[in-house]
Amino acid sequence: MNSNSPKSYPNRLGLKGWVYAGRYTFERYLYLGHRLSGMGLIAYMVLHIIETANRMRGVEAWQGLMALFASPPFKVVEYLLFAAAVFHAMNGVRLLLTELGFFLGKPKEPVYPYSSSVMRHRPLTYVIMALAGLIIILGGSSLFFP
Amino acid sequence: MRETRLWSLHLLVIPIIVVLLGTHFAIIHYAPVFYGMSVEEARSFEVMIERGRSIAQFVLYILLLAAGLYHGLYGLRGIIRELPLTPALAKLVDVGIVLFGLFIFGFGTYVTWWTFSFKIGG
Amino acid sequence: MTASHKTITPREITFRVRRFDPETDSAPHWDSYTLNVTEGMTVLEALHQLKAEKEPTLAWRSSCRMGVCGSCGMFINDLPQLACQTQLLHLGTDVVTVAPLPNYPNVKDLVPNLEPLIEKHVTIKPFIIHPNPQEIDEPTGEFIQSAEEREAFSQFTYCIKCGLCLAACPTVATDPLFLGPQALAQAYRYTADNRDCGLKERLEAIDIFHGPYQCHLAGACSQACPKGVDPAFGIQLLKRTLVLDSIGVGKKKSSVAKVRPLADVVKAIEEFAPPPRTVVSN
Repeated sequence: MNSNSPKSYPNRLGLKGWVYAGRYTFERYLYLGHRLSGMGLIAYMVLHIIETANRMRGVEAWQGLMALFASPPFKVVEYLLFAAAVFHAMNGVRLLLTELGFFLGKPKEPVYPYSSSVMRHRPLTYVIMALAGLIIILGGSSLFFP
Repeated sequence: MRETRLWSLHLLVIPIIVVLLGTHFAIIHYAPVFYGMSVEEARSFEVMIERGRSIAQFVLYILLLAAGLYHGLYGLRGIIRELPLTPALAKLVDVGIVLFGLFIFGFGTYVTWWTFSFKIGG
Repeated sequence: MTASHKTITPREITFRVRRFDPETDSAPHWDSYTLNVTEGMTVLEALHQLKAEKEPTLAWRSSCRMGVCGSCGMFINDLPQLACQTQLLHLGTDVVTVAPLPNYPNVKDLVPNLEPLIEKHVTIKPFIIHPNPQEIDEPTGEFIQSAEEREAFSQFTYCIKCGLCLAACPTVATDPLFLGPQALAQAYRYTADNRDCGLKERLEAIDIFHGPYQCHLAGACSQACPKGVDPAFGIQLLKRTLVLDSIGVGKKKSSVAKVRPLADVVKAIEEFAPPPRTVVSN
């Protein structure tokens, strides 16, 4: 493109392309969930380190903090964090295996209708997500059925 | 080779986090199941200090802190650097994240050491 | 994907086409047209008919009209597809949106500027790097490559550089420097080829922040690819190759394909016996 030609319109999707998974596959939504849960977890981890440092302010300060965290809104947030951590860990196991090339099958001559490594590891994805769902539900049992 | 090494380490700390964080969850959230004490008791100041005075807890907490911070901040660096940044801004993000991680690690290690060396009765 | 009998009935379809004239517009806008669509009509055929009957200024890129050249990539009903391979009635909607491929600069109407795709492809050195470079320019014989050795990378050779994968990729959406599924899959294609020993030469271009580790297996590229190349697979295999290489378990120069001298090749052809006749003449 020479400098005399009229300007192209920049057509990059930007953050919308990152966040809006639209009609793409299940794995694209898992990617979004993994990112969001990861960002939530790291924000929580930093806050947790700062908040538990309150022990250095003495027994009363610590007990006050624990009483606050035992209140219902915090219990809900705690459960959501647990769910995020379980999802992130289970999806992370899937990524750990597949990003090193396992469970994706072997390269072979493409014959229509094409199969892809993404579709070939779908059974693994379903098993992992089912396990994650089970752990999230079981883990919340003490919250739902105290 | 550098980016490959950074990513490999991001993967290598995963089992460390899974084991240590799972244990942490069991101790803190499932104390009635694993330790025969109520959740409130497990989080009380006295029990927390008592737990923190063991050498195993001291070492493992610092290991979990390092592993969790590295894994999380490598991911955060990836997310921020995927935005369109100038080379100078990209370098700033890298340096800033390392400094932030070192600061939080230092702070967390200090709190863990404080607990480990806490003298009951002052 | 099968469509119900109801949705593949020939009928009138509304086309919402994204228009942009760089000489008069500062931003794109949408224009609508209607066409009677018959069984078997593709988006490309519809565009030709629209241009002939309704909108002579409509611009797009196309060539072979049979899914081998990769020219007609467009964003059709919010998915990157080749216009010549997209059957209108099988889309199943009464309104079809046609936009230029995202993540590339939009030159005019439905025409993307594919230079980012080509530039990234060039950076990964898309050619065989052999220990004896003279053998590539002045061959003395045939490289020995078994069917299994070929199959290890063959699917990645089918890339037609249509650019649909970069349009689909969420990382390309935000990061202009990310190499993208096409370049990374091609980097694997050459690295896995037993005639190539060029991983070290390519490391500077691929072992960077904007390299394979910013692929997070969203899988949109493999979903979009019209030729079954499965670039996501290539990228994960590339990561494995790089990790193994970083711990010293990489391909050795000594394992590169040997050359069978030309005289031996000719002898092998002359000695080759045809299979027995299956048709007996009477």
